[in-house]
Amino acid sequence: MDLFELRNEFDKSGIMMCFNGPFSHSIIEETGKAMRNHLVAENISQSAVLDVFAVYIELAQNVRNYLTVREITPSEAMSSIIAIARKGAGYAISSGNIVLNADGEALCSRVHDVNSMTPEERKRNYRELLRRDAVPGALGAGLGFLEIAKRSSGKMECSVRPVDDTYAFITLTAFI
Amino acid sequence: METISIQQTGSTPQVLFDPLTSTLCLLGESYPENSFDFYTPVVSWLKSALQELSVLTLDITITYMNSSSTKCILDLLDIMEEAYSRGVATSIIWRYDRENPRSYVLAEEFLEEVTFPFEIEVLTK
Repeated sequence: MDLFELRNEFDKSGIMMCFNGPFSHSIIEETGKAMRNHLVAENISQSAVLDVFAVYIELAQNVRNYLTVREITPSEAMSSIIAIARKGAGYAISSGNIVLNADGEALCSRVHDVNSMTPEERKRNYRELLRRDAVPGALGAGLGFLEIAKRSSGKMECSVRPVDDTYAFITLTAFI
Repeated sequence: METISIQQTGSTPQVLFDPLTSTLCLLGESYPENSFDFYTPVVSWLKSALQELSVLTLDITITYMNSSSTKCILDLLDIMEEAYSRGVATSIIWRYDRENPRSYVLAEEFLEEVTFPFEIEVLTK
């Protein structure tokens, strides 16, 4: 295992922190805390720290909820990944995980929809979803991408790569 | 009437009812593993408490909540709104940190959803 090479790759991409493996709530929580402490030490505003943290939480919980709802077992899901990188004067937060082929397309189209909304439209959509009855079995309210967009400085990016006949790998990136 | 007391954790707020002041306090951050599971007992408690109480204040100091928690908080507000329409004196104090303007914006959004008294106050440290 060439960890030196792996580390160089991280450095080249500006990745400050990264977790790769099966997500559990405690891993999400602990990685989040470590990230927050790290950002506080960078002397950025408290609200910027919270924006990065909030986007991280929405992305990480999205991954975990998705795999749970779709009953994709850890052996099928393999590892999921979340990374925070420096990007210009700000930060990029990315998540990557296995999805069913059809879901990859649907998720990207939702990202594009949210990207194309004005702040007013996003607010209206947020309110509609808040007022919608909870979908049975859902672990979230479907508000995640809107929450991310609210805190982001640019459009979210989404890419899907085919893995096999059943699965694809989705990467979502948000910028703060 | 039963009281409610849930200890704060890293990702869930403290939930505590003070019968002397008839205040339900939520304090901390809210991004539970499963928000609906976490808030279900709070929702049930609030529903039955508002059958007995004539006054209830919800005192919220949540510096960060994830998106699914906002949906659960709205459920609490809806229950309070229903009680208010029956004559129960429900109200909210929402405390926000000046360094965290998004908490203020979120409070304003919730304020639009209800008609009972809703105060937004700066958190004094």
